[in-house]
Amino acid sequence: MRFTDFTPFDLVLLAQGLGVNVALFLVTSLLGLVIGIGWAIVRYYHVPVLSELVAFVSELLKNSPVLVQLFLVFFGLPGLLHIRVTPVMAAAITLSANTAAFTYVIAVSAIESIGRDQIEAARVFGLSRWQVLRHVVLPQAAAFAVGPLVALLVNQLQVTSLISVIGVVDLTKIGNILNMRTLKPFIVWTAVGLLYYLASKLVAWLGSRFEKRLRAHSAWRGL
Amino acid sequence: MIRVENVKKAFGHTTVLDGVDLTIEPGEVVSILGSSGSGKSTLIRCINGLEKLNGGRIMVDEFDVSKPKELAEARKRSGTVFQLFNLYPHMTVLGNITLAPVEVLRRPRSEAEAMARGLLESVGLGGRADAYPAQLSGGQRQRVGICRALAMQPRYLLLDEVTSALDPEMTGEVLTILARLARDGTTMLFVTHEVEFARQISDRIVFLDKGRLLVDLPTKAFFAADGGMGQPRVAQFLSKMRKD
Repeated sequence: MRFTDFTPFDLVLLAQGLGVNVALFLVTSLLGLVIGIGWAIVRYYHVPVLSELVAFVSELLKNSPVLVQLFLVFFGLPGLLHIRVTPVMAAAITLSANTAAFTYVIAVSAIESIGRDQIEAARVFGLSRWQVLRHVVLPQAAAFAVGPLVALLVNQLQVTSLISVIGVVDLTKIGNILNMRTLKPFIVWTAVGLLYYLASKLVAWLGSRFEKRLRAHSAWRGL
Repeated sequence: MIRVENVKKAFGHTTVLDGVDLTIEPGEVVSILGSSGSGKSTLIRCINGLEKLNGGRIMVDEFDVSKPKELAEARKRSGTVFQLFNLYPHMTVLGNITLAPVEVLRRPRSEAEAMARGLLESVGLGGRADAYPAQLSGGQRQRVGICRALAMQPRYLLLDEVTSALDPEMTGEVLTILARLARDGTTMLFVTHEVEFARQISDRIVFLDKGRLLVDLPTKAFFAADGGMGQPRVAQFLSKMRKD
C-alpha cells in the first residue's frame, strides 16, 4: 500500500473531522438561536436604547463576511484585550454571533407577521404583553419562522468549514491534509463534500419534521 | 355603569369623536346607529382601551380607562365581540374561550373548560369544541367570539358590528343568541347596521353622526318620531336603511 492511496481509514479521519464541525454547529446554533430570539423579544418590548443597539449589532454582523469577523475575533481581540483566544473559542464566538444576527431578523419578521386583530383581542380580554407574546404570538411566529430558521442552520453548518482557516482541525482541514498526502483531489473533496451533504440533509430532515409538528395544531396549510 | 364624558378622539387631522356623552346603566341594551365613519366603532375601541382619548373621560364602574392601572380592572368588566371575530387561529375553539379565564382570572383549567363547554352548548356549538377557527363558518366563528367574551363573565358586553361580516342566514344565527342575552338582562352596547333588530332588543337608541351624538332616546320614542325629532339626518338615515 502506498501513501498516496485513499484508504477506508481516511474516511474515519474525515468522519472525526465532521464530528468537530457538528459539535461546533450544535453549540453555536443553540447559543445563536437563544441570543437571536432574546434580541427579537427586546425589540418586541421596545426596550429603549437596547432595541437600537441590538438592531445595529445585527446589521454589522449580517453585512460583513464571516471570515473577516473570524479574523477580527481571532487575531484582533487578543491584541486589544490582552486575552488568549483559542481557535475553537474564536470560532464559537463568531459563529454564535452570526447565527444570532440572522435569527434576530427571522424572529422579528415572524413576530410582526401575526395579525394585530388577534393581539388586540387578547389585550382587551386582559392578557399582559408577556401573556400575549407567550400564548398568541410565539406559537404562531414559531410555525412561521421554522422554515427560514432551518435553512439558516443548514447554511451555518457549512459555514463552520471556515474555522479550518484559523487552524482548527475539522473536516475541511483534514480534507486538505489528505489531499496533499494522496494527491487525489477529486476523490478527497468528493468525500468531504458528501459528508457535509449528508450532515446538512440530516439537519434539514429533522427541521422539516419539527415544522410539521409545529403546524399540525394549526389549520394553516401554507400556499 | 359605563360613563362616557365629553370624549374626543382624532386620528391625525381627522376628528372621529367630537365630544360624546353617553351613560349605560346595568341591565340596559343600548344600540348605536349611524352611517359608516360616524365613529361608532371608535367609541367601542375607546371604551375597551384600544384607543387613547384626546379628551374627556370614560369610566367603567369606578375605573378610569385612561389610567393604565385601572384599565386592567375596567377590561375585566367588559367583554368585546369583534366585527371580524379576531379569534386565535392556532387554538381550538375551547382554547380560544378558556385562554383569558385561565390566564387573567386564574381559573382552574378544568373549571374554565366546563364553563366553555356549557357556553358552546348554549349557542349550538356543543360538538365543535376541538375544531380550529378555520374549520368553522363565519356564523359559527362569531358565536365562538361571543362565547369567548361571555366566558369572562363581563358586566358589560361591547358588540362592534358583530354581524356585518356575515350573510343574512348567519346573521340570523348570531342575532338569535344576542336576543336571548338581552332577554336575560345582559348589559349591552351594540354597534350595528341592523336597524330592525336594534329596534327589537334595545331599550335605547343612540345616533352618531360625524363624531357627534345627535340623538339619545328610548327605542319607542326614537322610532315613533321616525327618527325625526328635528333631526333630518336621522330621518334620512332611517329611510335609506328601510329601502335596502
